[in-house]
Amino acid sequence: MASSSPTGKRKREEEEEEQSPSSSKWRARRTEETYSSKLIQALRLVRAAAAAGTTTTTSSSTRSRDVRDAADRALAAAARGRSRWSRAILARRRTTLLRARLHHPVPIPMAGSSSSNQRHQQNHEEVEKAKVLGRLVPGCRKLPFPALLAEVSDYIAALEMQVRAMTALAQALSTASSSPS
Amino acid sequence: MSSRRSRSRQSGSSRITEEQISDLVSKLQDLLPEARLQSNARVPSARVLQETCNYIRSLHREVDDLSERLSELLATSDMSSAQEAIIRSLLM
Repeated sequence: MASSSPTGKRKREEEEEEQSPSSSKWRARRTEETYSSKLIQALRLVRAAAAAGTTTTTSSSTRSRDVRDAADRALAAAARGRSRWSRAILARRRTTLLRARLHHPVPIPMAGSSSSNQRHQQNHEEVEKAKVLGRLVPGCRKLPFPALLAEVSDYIAALEMQVRAMTALAQALSTASSSPS
Repeated sequence: MSSRRSRSRQSGSSRITEEQISDLVSKLQDLLPEARLQSNARVPSARVLQETCNYIRSLHREVDDLSERLSELLATSDMSSAQEAIIRSLLM
């Protein structure tokens, strides 16, 4: 079973990734490298788009929002469609606002203690906090509690990786610009 | 209403048990930065949920700040030397 060849190890890693969206993958170096590459490609596009348009009218807040969108899209892409929040980000960005409204899913009353399927005892405070949590994570407003918590763990691990990668990138860029060789 | 609740205490077929919930909540607690919550102490789940919300919000803020910083750097940086630095940082 244990293979010493590099292809065998990679295969085993891929198999592990296939099984479940384990949040430990967000801590893997390979994931961060993949994300950084995707991010750089996206940022190049943002930069090109900004240069093509009239740079005087592009406000700094628009530019930073474009960067944020590119970073989020790259993060969602790195998730490889295995989490609800990542699919929500990709769906949200691709469509226009009008189409997004048309495709808005019919709210299924599953979350919260009002549903008859919820057997656990949740007090009111927990339910309220879970709702707030559901609003913070993309695409998770109507999720039942266990699914929501699973999404949250994955989302937090992904966000932490996003911060690490963007910090490293910002440092690399600022070193490059401050010391032109 | 009461019959539904008594059924839940007995039934083994309910998909979502209280044990599962507390298990998930404790896993969530492990994710939070240790400075905020002692990982060994038993923390009420409402507190864990609150801290999780706060943590996600702070992560969002960090990403926003980084996006702003990156957008400024993108506008002013020389692309070729930036590319070198980026490749170098990826290889490290």
